[in-house]
Amino acid sequence: MLYLQMAITGISMGMLYALMAMGLTLIVKAVGVLNFAHGQLFMLGAYLTWMLTYSLNLPLWGVIVCGIIVFAICGAAYMFSVYWPLRNSSWKVTVTISTLGASIALKEFVQIVWGTIPLTMKPIVNGVFHFGTVYLNYQYIFIILIGGGLMALVYILFEKTFLGKVMQATAQDRYCAELIGIPTIVSIMATYMISMVLSGTGGWLAGPLFLVSSSLGSLAQKAFAGMVLGGFGDVKGAIVGCLLIGMIESFGLIITDAYKDAIVFAVLIIVLVVRPTGIFGEKISEKA
Amino acid sequence: MLEIKDLHAYYGPIEALKGINLKVDEGAAVAIIGANGAGKTTLLNSISRMVKTTGSITWNGQDLTVLNATKIAKMGIMHVPSGRHVFPGLTVYENLEVGSVNWHSPLKDGDYTKDLEFIYNLFPRLEERKNQLAWSLSGGEQQMLAVGRALMGRPKILLLDEPSMGLAPVVVNELFEKIDEINQQGMTVLIVEQNSKVALHHSSYAYVIDDGKITMEGPSEELANDDRIVEAYLGKKRG
Ligand SMILES: Nc1ncnc2c1ncn2[C@@H]1O[C@H](COP(=O)(O)OP(=O)(O)O)[C@@H](O)[C@H]1O
Ligand SMILES: [Mg+2]
Repeated sequence: MLYLQMAITGISMGMLYALMAMGLTLIVKAVGVLNFAHGQLFMLGAYLTWMLTYSLNLPLWGVIVCGIIVFAICGAAYMFSVYWPLRNSSWKVTVTISTLGASIALKEFVQIVWGTIPLTMKPIVNGVFHFGTVYLNYQYIFIILIGGGLMALVYILFEKTFLGKVMQATAQDRYCAELIGIPTIVSIMATYMISMVLSGTGGWLAGPLFLVSSSLGSLAQKAFAGMVLGGFGDVKGAIVGCLLIGMIESFGLIITDAYKDAIVFAVLIIVLVVRPTGIFGEKISEKA
Repeated sequence: MLEIKDLHAYYGPIEALKGINLKVDEGAAVAIIGANGAGKTTLLNSISRMVKTTGSITWNGQDLTVLNATKIAKMGIMHVPSGRHVFPGLTVYENLEVGSVNWHSPLKDGDYTKDLEFIYNLFPRLEERKNQLAWSLSGGEQQMLAVGRALMGRPKILLLDEPSMGLAPVVVNELFEKIDEINQQGMTVLIVEQNSKVALHHSSYAYVIDDGKITMEGPSEELANDDRIVEAYLGKKRG
């Protein structure tokens, strides 16, 4: 029973990483940039929903609706400030460096606006779920349901809708996309918006478990690890990789509490030595 | 009618086009032949507004140089790039589907049953492979898909960049016959080619481009028999 509890906690944490990793992968595919400020977008999501909940006193549905709108706007603003002005730079790594700058700026920004003292946030439903000897904070269940549901929606958007095809086409061949008349600025913007909604929602869900503070952004390290573990650049790989990372972390507690992060990265390194392309790596080379 | 006057194009300090003048009448099939590096792709990129230029480009009197690539496609000017530019991770059907994006909103699907029917009739192999991912197609099929995808955009003029590139001679002939067929149904076609023989055979008027300048022009048949062309571009000895 303890194992079941650990599995659920692990999947739940993995889901938070996956919310980041899915957005990261979508941006990598769309513009070829690894967004090092992704953890800070996650953190920003937590602060923004904290503001909607406690400064504006919105009810839950209001937080969700306004949250999505605010995240989408932030995603677009992020693209126009960090990516768009530098997109034609002859030095490819320029945009990546600018995301590093953005991560510092966002961290400073939330500290100026909300202070340096961590903020507390109530879970969606208070209390503990128990089933036999399994005791779980409800929030873990909500993370799995809401995170999983949101990722499924984004998956459907990309695979089944016309806009999704347009975004995929833009990601696969930008030049060609422009020639057939895709307003690539719109489709890249949509990708950033979706990416921010995923991350921001992650921040909202994580807020009650951790505290809302600027260190929330460091959770992105696990998302990066999950992406590499699953096979860099593959959406399904990123999700599976992150869920695995969450599980490893959770079960790693059996062995050691102090070194659980070290265990995650040890497993990552071992997997990469055995399988340098990550778990879903083959699919990528096929596509190229 | 597409009309280009004194067109110059630049890549930084490099002047790739040095004053091009040309005209493509409605319904015509015009070829531009030239060696590698002559400026053929740059010329098409100028029309589709993918490079910066000076000089004038007009389409039925409207100035194209003030527009962006999206607007050019919306007007029905469809540039099919060279080198099998398909969306590799989308299926054949999806590639065609997104080709319709210029005449409706990217947010929703349009009604293109008739367009699809026409394209599948023209290239039956695309229908056979409609659920295959585009990267898995042969070179010829990918080129057909690129043309088919352009046709989904309901073009008024097709700008084809070296459709013969990297294809076996049989496939090249098959493809150009299809292009003829499209042209005979009223589509204006501008073909840019290194393969002068095929291009001259499948066009009515042609220009020769060399080092960013038009060096010769005339009815394709005349150019095909011109000694200078025969020697320089058709690879045959005189007499
Ligand atoms: N992106 C670019 N940057 C710099 N120079 C370029 C670029 N593209 C083409 N050129 C130069 O412009 C000239 C014309 O190229 P291009 O239009 O591609 O010729 P073609 O299509 O006839 O082979 C060549 O000298 C080429 O080196
Ligand atoms: Mg070329």
